[in-house]
Amino acid sequence: MDFRQAQAVRGRIFRLLALLLFGILLTNLLVLTIAQHDYYSARALKNRQVQFRVPAPRGRITDRDGIPLADNTFHSDITVAASQFRDGEPDSVLSQLIRWFDLPRDETLADLQAQVARHGGRGRAVLVRGADMRQLTTVEERQSRLPGVRVESRWRRRYLHGPLFTHVIGYTGEVGPDDLRDAVPGMDYRVGDYLGKQGVERAFEMDLRGGTGMKLEEVNATGRIVGRESVWIRNVRPGRDVALTLSLPLQTAMDTLMAGRRGCGVALAVPSGEVLAAVSLPSFDANLMTGAISADQWRALSEDPAKPFFNRLVQATYPPGSLYKAVTSLAGLSLGVVDTGSVLEPCPGGYQFGNRWFKCWKHSGHGVLDHAGALAHSCDVFYYQLGLRLQLGDLAEAAAGFGLGQQITGLYPGEAAGNVPTDEWYDRRDGPRGWTRGVMLNNAIGQGAILVTPLQMAFLSARLAAGGRVPGPTFVLGEEPALDQVNLPYRPSHMDWIRRALRQVVDEGTGGAARLAGVAVAGKTGTAQNPHGDDHAWFMCYAPAQTPEVAVAVILENAGHGGAEAAPVAGAWLHEYFAWRHGVSVTAEGDGP
Amino acid sequence: MIRLSWLWPRGDRRLMVLYALLVLYSLALLWSVTEPLTGAYSEMRVDVPKSVFWRQLMWICISWAAIGVVSRVPLRYLENISWPAYLGVVLLLAVVLLIGPEVAGSRRWLALGPMRLQPSEFGKVALVVLLATWLGRRVEVGSRVGATLGSMVLAMAPAVLVLREPDLGTSLVFLAIWLGMIFWYGISGLLLLTALSSSISAVIMFYSESILEQPWPWAVYLLVLMAVLYLVRGGILASGLMLGANIAAGLGIPLVWTRLQPYQQDRIITFFDPSRDEHGTAYQAIQSKVAIGSGGLFGTHYLQGTQKGLAFLPERHSDFVFSVAGEELGLLGAGTMLVLFLLLVMSAVRVAMEVRRPFASLLAIGVASYFTFHVVVNVSITTGLLPVTGLPLPLISYGGSSMLASSLMVGLLANLSVHRYDD
Repeated sequence: MDFRQAQAVRGRIFRLLALLLFGILLTNLLVLTIAQHDYYSARALKNRQVQFRVPAPRGRITDRDGIPLADNTFHSDITVAASQFRDGEPDSVLSQLIRWFDLPRDETLADLQAQVARHGGRGRAVLVRGADMRQLTTVEERQSRLPGVRVESRWRRRYLHGPLFTHVIGYTGEVGPDDLRDAVPGMDYRVGDYLGKQGVERAFEMDLRGGTGMKLEEVNATGRIVGRESVWIRNVRPGRDVALTLSLPLQTAMDTLMAGRRGCGVALAVPSGEVLAAVSLPSFDANLMTGAISADQWRALSEDPAKPFFNRLVQATYPPGSLYKAVTSLAGLSLGVVDTGSVLEPCPGGYQFGNRWFKCWKHSGHGVLDHAGALAHSCDVFYYQLGLRLQLGDLAEAAAGFGLGQQITGLYPGEAAGNVPTDEWYDRRDGPRGWTRGVMLNNAIGQGAILVTPLQMAFLSARLAAGGRVPGPTFVLGEEPALDQVNLPYRPSHMDWIRRALRQVVDEGTGGAARLAGVAVAGKTGTAQNPHGDDHAWFMCYAPAQTPEVAVAVILENAGHGGAEAAPVAGAWLHEYFAWRHGVSVTAEGDGP
Repeated sequence: MIRLSWLWPRGDRRLMVLYALLVLYSLALLWSVTEPLTGAYSEMRVDVPKSVFWRQLMWICISWAAIGVVSRVPLRYLENISWPAYLGVVLLLAVVLLIGPEVAGSRRWLALGPMRLQPSEFGKVALVVLLATWLGRRVEVGSRVGATLGSMVLAMAPAVLVLREPDLGTSLVFLAIWLGMIFWYGISGLLLLTALSSSISAVIMFYSESILEQPWPWAVYLLVLMAVLYLVRGGILASGLMLGANIAAGLGIPLVWTRLQPYQQDRIITFFDPSRDEHGTAYQAIQSKVAIGSGGLFGTHYLQGTQKGLAFLPERHSDFVFSVAGEELGLLGAGTMLVLFLLLVMSAVRVAMEVRRPFASLLAIGVASYFTFHVVVNVSITTGLLPVTGLPLPLISYGGSSMLASSLMVGLLANLSVHRYDD
């Protein structure tokens, strides 16, 4: 067979082979485009159509006049798909990102795994929270080579006044495993979301959060929205703004006046019970809690002996000291064991009960005092005698009318109720025969087992000023108070008397440091004995004495005498308050009283 | 004297119509690839710039003129320059390895001012011409085995150089061209059987290595082979050659496997198990199938493909341009392109069958092999029948060197169609 003949045979073989190969290609094309068309169409749709959760901007928190205290900023996260690190092994794209960003490989992978584990191993996980410009540009520039990687923007909380409102507003934090488990159905929390962890942020979560929107968007291969075929499945419902009852200038004034000290200053509007200022010191910057806190910062805060995390407004309990004498007086008057003009045994500087000598704070003694004088000068000996004419139950009943021994706000799950001891309480603690009527002496002057929170003392002051029509304190405008208005079982003449007596405390008694020019102030000083260190200085007051509109309580830890330490703070704050009320701009550096 | 009409191709009208249809198809696809998706944000950047279209148009004009010239070159002249051309290209391939700029991990190009030249593309043309010359002179003269082995060495030289760039796909093109032409020349039956049985050995060992990880199937196969050789009373020499080749192929596979680049190993492994790395190595293959499959019978409409328009499809202007045809023009559009290529191959085979001179016949079959291999492998990759390796679709994919080289192939064919009855 020569070449020419062979050409004919081989030509046929070659043609047959070419036909066969092209036939295979065409058949395969037929399978792809006809038989598997639906499957691949669905995949193409899945490629480009992405369901986006659109987080609602959290409602702002403002002061009572609408000045913003907490708002939101936008920040960008870099996220990856769960399928990119199946079985703990990152795919080539993810390993590249980890290298580029210099992330600790094992920790990062463990963190990613933990994130998707909460959603059953599917979905997306945040690789870099709040990515910086360099990281964002790295991803954006190379997006075509980074399938599955996305830049997602989220709201983040911003507290405009750092530590000033932290103990009232609380803070937001990233959703934790417990939150996901306990979440209210329909609230739809996801890893990476923020929710209120404390204070107003927590109590008003449902209002502030709003409704997450859901939207179908067409994206390109780099995950960027291209602006075609966008369909809203569910609209975003922005969070509702929440207005506090507090006022920024009044809060600032209280904070400035207490700067550098440890303790609490609370002011309530009378008779509404709205909290105007509530400072607990030391505080901390709530912005630290929204994700950016470092391990060192956290340790420094949590190990600080001054306990900045401790919300002294409602969590700290102290003996009320002499502030309680107002309650004791009212209990005595209503039972008739003492009268407004009663004069008891004179004060020689102490009182002998059984084999024990109970000292008066004034060691030289007060001499002869009537009831009002005893309150004004805070004579312990008078109240020892009054206490012996009362039962524990009588005192407890009177205390309950002023919100003592119970939680008085609905805002703080960890609020302390304090302690108002009764016979049963002593029986429980010391056994039925383990205690004597000597405890009445301590209880009458607010020492010993009786414990109150600073907020309760402000509330006591407010109810002394305006009676039972003052509802429980509220921190948010329109909030339902936790305590209703009540009718206090005291005769108007007795209430009038005690108000005169409290005014006398400031005008000529121990509370002179709170006196104001032009406005009459009524108040009571106190010094809470502290077994662990120096006494705490207490002062409560309200003003104007004739037509009360504001009630204040101040405690300074380990500061000593209330009249000398706490009363000036309260007085100076009242000065600022009246300037604010009359439209004068408030500065901390005003001319003092 | 140079005349302007030389720039107009001479030769078979039908061939030039096929060529024109294919390059127009290429322009249509590249226009689509460089257009933004309708309805998208206007500020969305199209990753493949419009300049790709204009450059392709420029290269097509250059190629058209080149066909005009090549279709007029006397065949004897081609034979005379075959060695210098071949040696020149082999030299360039060596130079590329030494001074070529590294792009994405490989050296394939020579930078000539603003142009980038890919010598391997012209190597294919040079090899076709040289093998036609070399084998044409050995038709009915000298030993067949000698011609076979000698031509293999000629094909291996550029193939090995290209493999080192590394560019596996292109280096296989050289072997495919050689395979087609040696088949046309008349391969010896013994060598054919040896090659066939050796490739079976290689395939068995490949699966044993990567999947079964045990040598038993290969051992059984060798025993069977020996039994067959004994039964048919093959000569000692022939049997020894076959056994030796089989053992070499079987043992060679693990050796080759370990010499492969890690990314090549990855591609081969993911070819067998695409879900292993959906966002990485297998991504291209999966997205390409999604594009073609979602196109359906009529396609998503020209300019409307979302796999293309939203950039899910990688390399959509070069190696995966076929998937754009599948997505936007459907089975009808993609099938039409395949039919055009099939007609091109068939007309090349017809030329090979009709021309008298062995050189011309071998030249035509070299061109046919070139197009067959390129189209079949590229389309197989885009439709998921073969693992991903970089190989352009001739006359369609964007790329100056590739366009010019495949046009030269068509030009050679046009030339031969005129000299059909020359002796």
